[in-house]
Amino acid sequence: MTTVETPTRLAARIEDAYKIYGEGHTEVRALNGVSAEFETGVFTAIMGPSGSGKSTLLHCVAGLDELTSGKVFIGDTELGPLSDKDLTLLRRKKVGFVFQAFNLIPTLNARENVLLPLLIAGEDHDEAWFDQIVDILGLADRLSHRPSELSGGQQQRVAAARALVSRPAIVFADEPSGNLDSKSAAELLDFMRRAVKEFGQTIVMVTHDPVAASYADRVVFLEDGKVVDELDDPTPDSVIDRMRTFGG
Amino acid sequence: MIRTALKTAFAHKLRLVLTALSVMIGVAFVAGTYIFTDTIDKTFSQMYDNIYAGQDVIVQSASEFDVGFSGPPPMDESVLDTVLSVPGVAAAEGGVGGFAIIYDKEDKAIVPTGPPTIGGSMTGDLRLSGNIGLRDGRVPTAPNEVAIDARTADDHDLHVGDVVKVQTPEKVAEYEIVATLRFGDSDNLSGATWAGFDLKTAQELFGLQGQYSTISVVAEDGTSAGILRNSIAAALPAGIEAVTAADESASQSQALSESLGFLNTALLVFAAVSVFVASFIIQNTFRIIVRQRQKELALLRAVGATGTQVIWMVVIEALLVALVASILGIALGFVIARGLTAVMGAIGFDMPSTAAPLAMRTIVVALSVGVIVTLAAAVLPAIRASRIPPVAALQDVDVRLRMSDRKRTIIGSIVLAVGLALVVDGLFGYVVALGPLNELSAVGVGALLVFLAVSLLSSRVVKPVARTLGWPLPRLDNLTGTLAIENTTRKPRRTATTASALMIGLALVGFFFVLGSSIKASASAAIEKGLRADYVLSVNGFSGGFSPLLGETISKAPEIAAVSALRFGYWDNNGTEDFVMGIDIDTVEQTIELGVVDGSIAALADGGVFVQKDIADNEGWTVGDTVPMGLATTGLQQMPIVGIYTEAAVVQSNYLIGMDTYKANFEGFGTDVDYVLAVKAADGVSPEASRAVVEAAAADYPNVEVRDQTEYRKSQAAQVDTILVMFNALLALAVIIAMVGITNTLALSVFERTREIGLLRAVGMTRGQIRRMIRWEAIIVAVIGALLGVVLGLFFGVVVTSALSSQGIDVLSIPTGQIIGLVLFGVVAGLLAAILPARRAAKLNILESIAYE
Repeated sequence: MTTVETPTRLAARIEDAYKIYGEGHTEVRALNGVSAEFETGVFTAIMGPSGSGKSTLLHCVAGLDELTSGKVFIGDTELGPLSDKDLTLLRRKKVGFVFQAFNLIPTLNARENVLLPLLIAGEDHDEAWFDQIVDILGLADRLSHRPSELSGGQQQRVAAARALVSRPAIVFADEPSGNLDSKSAAELLDFMRRAVKEFGQTIVMVTHDPVAASYADRVVFLEDGKVVDELDDPTPDSVIDRMRTFGG
Repeated sequence: MIRTALKTAFAHKLRLVLTALSVMIGVAFVAGTYIFTDTIDKTFSQMYDNIYAGQDVIVQSASEFDVGFSGPPPMDESVLDTVLSVPGVAAAEGGVGGFAIIYDKEDKAIVPTGPPTIGGSMTGDLRLSGNIGLRDGRVPTAPNEVAIDARTADDHDLHVGDVVKVQTPEKVAEYEIVATLRFGDSDNLSGATWAGFDLKTAQELFGLQGQYSTISVVAEDGTSAGILRNSIAAALPAGIEAVTAADESASQSQALSESLGFLNTALLVFAAVSVFVASFIIQNTFRIIVRQRQKELALLRAVGATGTQVIWMVVIEALLVALVASILGIALGFVIARGLTAVMGAIGFDMPSTAAPLAMRTIVVALSVGVIVTLAAAVLPAIRASRIPPVAALQDVDVRLRMSDRKRTIIGSIVLAVGLALVVDGLFGYVVALGPLNELSAVGVGALLVFLAVSLLSSRVVKPVARTLGWPLPRLDNLTGTLAIENTTRKPRRTATTASALMIGLALVGFFFVLGSSIKASASAAIEKGLRADYVLSVNGFSGGFSPLLGETISKAPEIAAVSALRFGYWDNNGTEDFVMGIDIDTVEQTIELGVVDGSIAALADGGVFVQKDIADNEGWTVGDTVPMGLATTGLQQMPIVGIYTEAAVVQSNYLIGMDTYKANFEGFGTDVDYVLAVKAADGVSPEASRAVVEAAAADYPNVEVRDQTEYRKSQAAQVDTILVMFNALLALAVIIAMVGITNTLALSVFERTREIGLLRAVGMTRGQIRRMIRWEAIIVAVIGALLGVVLGLFFGVVVTSALSSQGIDVLSIPTGQIIGLVLFGVVAGLLAAILPARRAAKLNILESIAYE
């Protein structure tokens, strides 16, 4: 398979980011001076306890939410100055999403859901690439089914296929395996890792599950809106060990 | 439980407002109708109070009945002496009234559309003049002097000292304005123009020399009107009656109100249509609300609320909506009443607008309509809500609470069959005896059931129709189009009900289009067949005549072969008002092809009547039978039928009598003018020459339009168009309610699909695309409604037209352009209805939407 040509290039980065809700006594700093880089072709997991700001970080880097201050880049494009429309087009072309639940449009069948970003853009798709993804995910015989006729695992795999189909610069996954049984979760995470290894895809995933995190190349730990640690080549045990130190 | 219901209601303000809006508009229409007709009633009763103010007893010829502004037949002047000789009479004076048109400075006739152009004698004794007062100037005393109402003077810049022409039955002449008049507190008599002359002049101008229309009497102090009336009555010759001024005022205004009663009924029918449409919207809204609150209601059940309590929750919310909407609706009723005045004005009935009273009856009816309709519409959704099992709170299951498709189809088919049977029976009257329903209500109730049935059944066709209609969308607008189609078909019943609401209004519009077009085509064909004359002279609008002098002048010209006049009269047809035309026996055959199938026109000279063939067939009458006709002057007459004819488009009457018979039986106010003149040019005279002669003669009568055959046909069509415009204006409210319904349904659907919209936005759909998606969805729903409406409208149009073929509407004409226009209107309606929900959907915050439960 293709190897990554410029492994050190950054798919996305966030600099000195603050996200503050409320004012005065009710002020909450969801991000409190976060800086992080997400290299192309790397599977990064973001971990941290509830309220650590990990989802906020993901949303801000993905262009779904705005920072109070600081900068976010997807590739070389800074998101801050973009209009809502440009941001939308950037998400459409450069970003893929897998959410924890409700990833699919119920009125569209699996095939249409996979192709959703391209259909929205009115663009043609690469049939060979589509077949390849669908084949790997074992969705080939489910394509004409609607989401209500798919299992939870199948639904999340359709979402994963959708995230990859437009070859985005980066894929964001928010607890993608959170609602799945362990077998389905393993299948999904395994596929995500293959996408990184075999196709050079960049993935950033938020999770609270050490097992899920262990599929990543690298884990970024967040606490109280700050990056507190990083771990390369994580295993479930090393992640759990690191997690124990939180809150203490 | 009540508090929970109220809290939920207020928590969803937009939903409350939109639901209330549909009820409100319907209620407003009902309230507005009552306010409108009450206003008219009040205006007329005020007017008659003004006319008779200060007088005690009125002496006049006993007449069979009064219609609108027409007056009693005249009596001899000598009656005045009789009256004056009665003890207790302080003063009495005779007066005459009649047709009079004032011309403006440019010699154009001042003719209000609707109210009459009248005039009368002015009394010298101010006690007898009612509330007629001088604003400035003095009472006319010479033959060349006139007093005019202040409104006419102000509107046309006429002042005391100016010289104007006035047209009366006997002549068109110039008069000096010596006074402007007020009537009580108003500047004119409910919109009528009024020209006053001294008694002698008035008698000459109205052709009533030596006669009075009425004698006004003032009692001496201490003599009551009732007692004086009795003593005067005892002294009067046969055929002359005395009534107290109060009674006369009341009976006159009551007669006028009754003759306008049809207006109230007609408007209430349109109001009912609006309310019916609103009930669809309410029912749909509550159904969606119950579905959306399924989990919440299930939770209430889980923590111990009984099914009945859940029903109450929904019902209380409905009640709240009903009350708020009805109260606002009554307030809006005043606006609607204004609008109705404007609509009537636009088609040619200037309605006087005094302060509109709010009667208790209006409040009671409007409130009951609002509350009953809303509660009735909310009952089914409420029962459905009570059947939500508590377990639904815990599981993410979509509990199916609706009627099965099969059951729905069966019920829909039964309702459809009953509805169609009623319509057909009402129109053709041969299926079953209807019992308490008369034909018109049978058709109405039948149509209502057909609408209900189509709404029930149409959920089955929503899918294929939406897919077919939407076929070009994915090509036009790829994904947004596809999603729009899918969204309309995922809840077929919701779409069907929403579309049905629009269907009802548009079906009625379509029906009127077909009927109107057929009437126009039939009339046009009939005129072509029936009109031999080269020119038709008549007054624009729906009523009003002109001086017979015009006909006399034209008939003297050598270029003209024949002039035939038509005069119009009401008669009492066994309790209902009917009308008859007086015709010129000698000339009618040269100008109008009457299509005599039996008898001869010459026979009319002996006082009989011609009856239109369809009426004669229905009644089983033949020549030699008699028709009992209640005639204004002479009372009930057994009129012998001397002929049967087929023509109806030109004479526009089912009964014809000779002009001499007419004069003998319709002597008096408003009957001394011609309504139509049919003019036939002499052989060999060029159209230019004959037209010039007619135009020249008519120049003195600017209220009269001269039309050749083609122009006459067009003018008849224009009258039909005018009525169509009015009907469509009245149906506009029902259509607006339906549009509110589309907006409401879409807004609720957007709310329901919040997460989906968030997801689409996240993966790259722009706000513009979201807006387009909602817009397409609205257009599909609206066009489904428009198509269903057009199909039903065509159906009703064809059926009703064929039922009316015996009434002279024998040409079926489908106005293709207008029908296509209706469907296009559906597109526009959809676009407009989508504005708010589309904006709402586009504005949704992505993150909040995705996280939305």
